[in-house]
Amino acid sequence: MLSFILILIAGVFFTGVIIRTKSIASGRKGPGILQPISDVVRLFKKGAVYSQTTSFIFQVAPTIYFSSVVMAMMLIPFGQSKGLISFNGDFVFFAYVLALGKFFSIISAMDTGSSFEGMGASRESLYSLLAEPAFFILMGSFALLTGYTSFQEMFAALHLGSYISYAIAILATFVLVMIAMIENSRMPIDDPKTHLELTMIHEVMILDNSGFDLGLMLSAGYLKFALYGAIIVNLFIGMVPYPYAIPLFFIIQFLLAIIIGLIESFIARFRMSHNPQFIFALTSVSLLIFFGVLLVLGKFI
Amino acid sequence: MDVSWATTIVAVVLMCFIPSAKKSILAIVTVIINAIVTSIPAIQALGGATSDFSFYAGTFLGDVPIRIDGLSAWFILIINFTSVTGVIYGTGYLKAYKNPAFKLSIHWILFLLFHLSMVWVTLLQNGFAFLIAWEIMSLTSMLLVIFDGHNTKTLQAGINYFVQMHISIVFLTIGFLWVYIETGSFDFDAFQAFFTTNNNLWLFIIFFVGFGLKAGFIPLHSWLPYAHPAAPSHISGVMSGVIVKLGIYGLIRVISYVQSDFILLGEIIISISILTGLYGILNAAVHRDFKKMLAYCTIENIGIIGIGIGLGMIGLGSHSPLLYYLGFGGALLHVLNHSLFKSLLFFAAGSVYQQTHTRDMERLGGLIKNMPQTAIIFLIGAIAIAGIPPFNGFVSEFVIYSGLIEGLKSDNINLISLLILSFAGLSLMGGLSILTFTKSFGTLFLGNQRETLPHQPFEVSRIMLFPQYLIIAVMLSVAFVPQWYLDIVGNLLSGMALVSHPIAQGFEVSSLAVYSKTLSHISLYSLLFIAVIGLFWMIRHYSQKSKSIFVGNTWGCAYVAPNNRMQYTGKSYSKPLGKMFSFMLIEKKRYPELMAGEIFPQTRKYSSHYLDFIEHYLIDNAIRLLLTIVNYFKFIQNGRVQSYVMYGIVFILAIFILTLLNLLK
Repeated sequence: MLSFILILIAGVFFTGVIIRTKSIASGRKGPGILQPISDVVRLFKKGAVYSQTTSFIFQVAPTIYFSSVVMAMMLIPFGQSKGLISFNGDFVFFAYVLALGKFFSIISAMDTGSSFEGMGASRESLYSLLAEPAFFILMGSFALLTGYTSFQEMFAALHLGSYISYAIAILATFVLVMIAMIENSRMPIDDPKTHLELTMIHEVMILDNSGFDLGLMLSAGYLKFALYGAIIVNLFIGMVPYPYAIPLFFIIQFLLAIIIGLIESFIARFRMSHNPQFIFALTSVSLLIFFGVLLVLGKFI
Repeated sequence: MDVSWATTIVAVVLMCFIPSAKKSILAIVTVIINAIVTSIPAIQALGGATSDFSFYAGTFLGDVPIRIDGLSAWFILIINFTSVTGVIYGTGYLKAYKNPAFKLSIHWILFLLFHLSMVWVTLLQNGFAFLIAWEIMSLTSMLLVIFDGHNTKTLQAGINYFVQMHISIVFLTIGFLWVYIETGSFDFDAFQAFFTTNNNLWLFIIFFVGFGLKAGFIPLHSWLPYAHPAAPSHISGVMSGVIVKLGIYGLIRVISYVQSDFILLGEIIISISILTGLYGILNAAVHRDFKKMLAYCTIENIGIIGIGIGLGMIGLGSHSPLLYYLGFGGALLHVLNHSLFKSLLFFAAGSVYQQTHTRDMERLGGLIKNMPQTAIIFLIGAIAIAGIPPFNGFVSEFVIYSGLIEGLKSDNINLISLLILSFAGLSLMGGLSILTFTKSFGTLFLGNQRETLPHQPFEVSRIMLFPQYLIIAVMLSVAFVPQWYLDIVGNLLSGMALVSHPIAQGFEVSSLAVYSKTLSHISLYSLLFIAVIGLFWMIRHYSQKSKSIFVGNTWGCAYVAPNNRMQYTGKSYSKPLGKMFSFMLIEKKRYPELMAGEIFPQTRKYSSHYLDFIEHYLIDNAIRLLLTIVNYFKFIQNGRVQSYVMYGIVFILAIFILTLLNLLK
């Protein structure tokens, strides 16, 4: 429950912090940190325009997408406290619940019959499938390291002790940050600020969404950031008591948002054709983590 | 059993005399009776009451033992359910075509025999009798595939299937004969004796090839992508749902007698399965013929089932009861799940084909407006097959995932590495099937119609929709009471011959209880998920009530004259993937280049299609080599009667001399 609320709060500020960082980095004053949320609230109040090509799929998809993120939030623990839902192998459920949301967001893009949106859908499905093995190898390595298979038990049992474990934690953070970037279609995979449909991924998929549905899509994106941020926080807080853990949570989320903002300010988007290579490289980083875990456990003879 | 034979014979005779319209009803009634009759002992067997009996089959075979144990029962029930839905669906499906009465009679008679032969394959415990049933099954299914035999491509697919099934039978025969030579018995129980005294590996590999051909493990899969699209859809549904699974049945049956080398065999199976799965789904992603896509997807699912089987073997080898139950349990659950959603998808695809007369998804589009129910059915099938909650595909995949995580606790570093790679492979398969099915669903049902069809498609008849809803009902039962199914599978597995092996000491089914509980929780969480979706849907509904809703054109980037052919095609959708894996997904393009002096280019055509890597490089080359070699022996069959008479004389002389010298035993 605690993590659910914390993620909600973090989600409110996260994107705002990113945008603010970017504007400061580019020498502008920039909008307030709550601007993204007030945008969403404004959208919730608006009417909607639907394309005549679309069917009910287009109408239900944003709701399912948003719900899948909310459902995934329930699975995330916070230090010693479990998530709302916790069971052995819950990270598989986590990945597949998010997959349902993705499935619907992709087919809703295809529902409009627009070639731009089809293009975005194609890219989205390709990139997110390539990121999947990295996440699973990472989680499998943690399961191997700790002997547990649920999020909460795994993170609680992660002890940072030896040098190798620090290396593992750093690599894991890197992988998770990058997965978060891919899942949220941010730089260096996708540029949310691009103006050309041909180079968009996520933005082009929601071209035809408006009003309440667009609000749902956007807020799901904000929450997704905080969601992955929370996983990263969990890597570090372990058994830290609450009075320290809760501020630490926000500090790490804040740092993460700033890092993402800086990445987006100083790195150009990759060429579309280089994206798969980059994403697949994450899998090899995950494999490195796996070998690190084998080293820690002394399974190499 | 006798009842089923009696009904079938009566039905076969009757089928020839009644009018065309009644034939299908007779077929439905007979299949249902057969299904009920054979399901009763199967249900008892799942409850633990294994029935053993035998019948006398002439002097050669002697007493043929028949046993309905848990494993047979599980497959019998799957066969029966899919055949019943298949026959009902087929009734509606064939109604749309004008077929001569005799063709229909033969079709339905073959279907009855096909159904019974599949059931008998799972019953017989004697190698020789098993082969007979297996052969009947292969022949009837081949004849069912070539229902549209006037079409050359269908005929070719049928012959391809026919030949490959007989290669499979050759391997099975070699296997059974080997056991017979070593032990003097064709009975399955003789396997145990064989495996205790001999090396397990080679006989197992022979059976793996034999059954693998049926199941579609790579590189033995090349019949599937031809036979499934060529067959009428109710037949493809049953074939993909069940007949392929009988390869799995045979494999598990052989495994249940294996006595050693569990880990090695498990590792072999897992490695092949992962490759099978990835290969299958990669090919599925790029093909534009939607039934071919489904056929490749079947290969993927065989891979997933294989991963489960391999895990179970490793569990045996490493004394881990949990791994044994999770591995085989996941495999058997996936057999059930796949038979459900794959037949559902084939039926839905058949409905599309019946209405549009094309299997090329690039020519379709926007069908959700014409055929909303079929679209929803296909969507449910697609979500289920991608292994996404809240449908049943997730249940079996979760069990296999759990098994893989459980296997990580092993001390064997090779094993851990293999399992973590399978873990990644399985997740990649999941991602790829999302791509495949968003592509297929999107291209077929969403957007606008791409081409004007000969006639406007409509929703199919109720008799075709009914069996599909029936399948969905069973799928939901698996999704929401998975613990019940897992317990059945657990009991079944604890009764397998393997568990009596000394290595499996203390393999109590109770070790599965934890997972049974987890699964029941997952089903609750799936319900919660649906509730969350419902909640937000309500909120959205109320907040939009008072708002103004407009309908306009799709945003076209200010382009004002879009046409339907300009929509994103399925081909372009999967093109980036095809490019990435271009070393394996071979694309053949055909187009005339612009000539140097061609000032006013004429209209020209461009076409491209994907080739099957293994078929193209491995099988076709092997066949070409074989043909070259065989060509040298052409002189033997020279068409002269005199030569043939001479062969006869030589043969008789040889027999005579060999007998004389007492060389022939």
